[in-house]
Amino acid sequence: MNDWLRKIEWAVGLILLQVLILNNIHIGGFATPFLYVYFILKLSSDTPRNQQMLWAFCIGLAIDIFTNTLGMNAAAFVLMAFVRPTFLRLFTPRDTYDSYTPSKITMGTTPFVRYVIVCVLVHHMALLTIESFSFISFELLLLRIVLSAALTIICIFAIEWFRK
Amino acid sequence: MRNLLNFLIKYNYWLLFLALEAISFALLFHCNHYQESYFFNSANVVTGKVYELSGGISSYFHLKSVNRDLLDRNMELETKINNLEKSLKSDKVDSLDIVSLERLPRTSYYLYKANVINNSVNLTDNYITIDKGSLAGIRPEMGVVDANGVVGIVYQTSPHYSVVISVLNSKSNISCKIIGSNYFGSLKWDHSDSQHAYLEDLPRHAEFNLGDTIVTSGYSSVFPQGVMVGTVDDMGDSGNGLSYFLKIKLATDFGRVSDVRVIARRGYQEQKALESKSIITNE
Repeated sequence: MNDWLRKIEWAVGLILLQVLILNNIHIGGFATPFLYVYFILKLSSDTPRNQQMLWAFCIGLAIDIFTNTLGMNAAAFVLMAFVRPTFLRLFTPRDTYDSYTPSKITMGTTPFVRYVIVCVLVHHMALLTIESFSFISFELLLLRIVLSAALTIICIFAIEWFRK
Repeated sequence: MRNLLNFLIKYNYWLLFLALEAISFALLFHCNHYQESYFFNSANVVTGKVYELSGGISSYFHLKSVNRDLLDRNMELETKINNLEKSLKSDKVDSLDIVSLERLPRTSYYLYKANVINNSVNLTDNYITIDKGSLAGIRPEMGVVDANGVVGIVYQTSPHYSVVISVLNSKSNISCKIIGSNYFGSLKWDHSDSQHAYLEDLPRHAEFNLGDTIVTSGYSSVFPQGVMVGTVDDMGDSGNGLSYFLKIKLATDFGRVSDVRVIARRGYQEQKALESKSIITNE
C-alpha cells in the first residue's frame, strides 16, 4: 500500500513537473525534455508488464489531457513500457531473477546508461513521429528526436545524481 | 482451443499493449478535433485549476517587466493628458463661457480666437496687437472682446497680425446703451485711467441708476447689440447741459487682456456696403 502511495506521488509530481515547467522549454525551438519517462524507467524489474503499461497509459493520458494532445503521449509511453522489460533483460548481464530497481548501482554504469538511452530514444521517436505525423521534414524530425532525447537523458542523470 | 487459450494467457501483455495503443490512437484521431472531448482537454475543472494556479505563480516572475510597462504606459498617458489639456485650453472658442457675450443671439456672429501679443494702457492712444490677421479672416472694423467685456476695434490687419484700437484710445468711439432702455450714447476715453471711460450724449430724459449695466447698442456695424461694456460708476452733466456725461467702470481689465475674441457679424459686409453707398448718394 505504501509502495502504491509512493508511486502515485511520484506520478503526480512528474506529471505536474512535465506540464507546468518542462513543456514550456523549447531550447532552440527543438529540444523539449520529457522527463515523465523516468517513472517507468525506475519501476522495479519484477513489475508485471501489464501493470507497467497501465501506469504508462494513465500517466501519458494525464499529460495529454493537460496539453490537449489526446492519445499522443499515451501511445508513445505505452510503447516504451511494452519494450522496457525486453531492454532490461538485454542490458542486464547477470542471470538473476531477483527483483531490482534499475540504477547505476544495481545494473552497473554502462548497462544502465545504455538502457536509459535506448528507452528514451524509443519513446521520443514514437512521440515526436506521432506529433509531426509525417516524414516530410525528416531531418528536422531527427534533429528534434536527438536533441530532446539528449535533454531528457541529461535530466534523468541529474535526478539520479541527486537521489544517490 | 486449449493451446489458443494458453497462448493468449502467455502473451496477454500483447493484447493489453495492442488494446492500449488502439485506445490511444482512437483518442488521437477522434477526440482531438471534437468539442465533445471537453472532459479530456485542458478546459476541464482539474486541469483548469492547475493551470490557473501555475499562471498565478508564474505571473509573479513577470511583475518587474509588467511594472515597467505600466510605468511607461503611465508616462505616455500623462503626456497625452497634458497635451490634450493644452489643446483643450487653446481650442475653447465657444462663446458659452464668455460672459461678455452671453446676451447675444448665438447665430448672429462668428468668433475668431486670438491672443494679445502687444498692449499698452498708459499712452494717450493705446493700441493692442493680436496674433491673428487677414489670413485668419480678420478684417478692419471688427469688434474685439475678451471674457469680461469690450476691448476695441480692429484697425489694421496684416496677413498674420492685427492692430486693435483699444477702448483706451482717443479715436475710440463705441455706441453704447444702458441695458433695459434704448437710450444710447458713445463711449469715449479721456486718457486718465485704464479702468474708466465716459459715455457721452446720453439724453437728459434717460432713466438709469448708478450701477446699471452698459452694453453695446448694435447701432454701429462693429459690435452686435448687447456686448458687455461696463457699469455706471458716476454721473454728471455735459458742458452744454443737454445730455448726461456718465463715468463708466469698464468691465475689461485692460492691464491684463490676453485671450480675446474677434467678432465678425453676419451681414457685416452688406451693412457696410449699403451705408457707404448711401453716404455717397447723399453727397
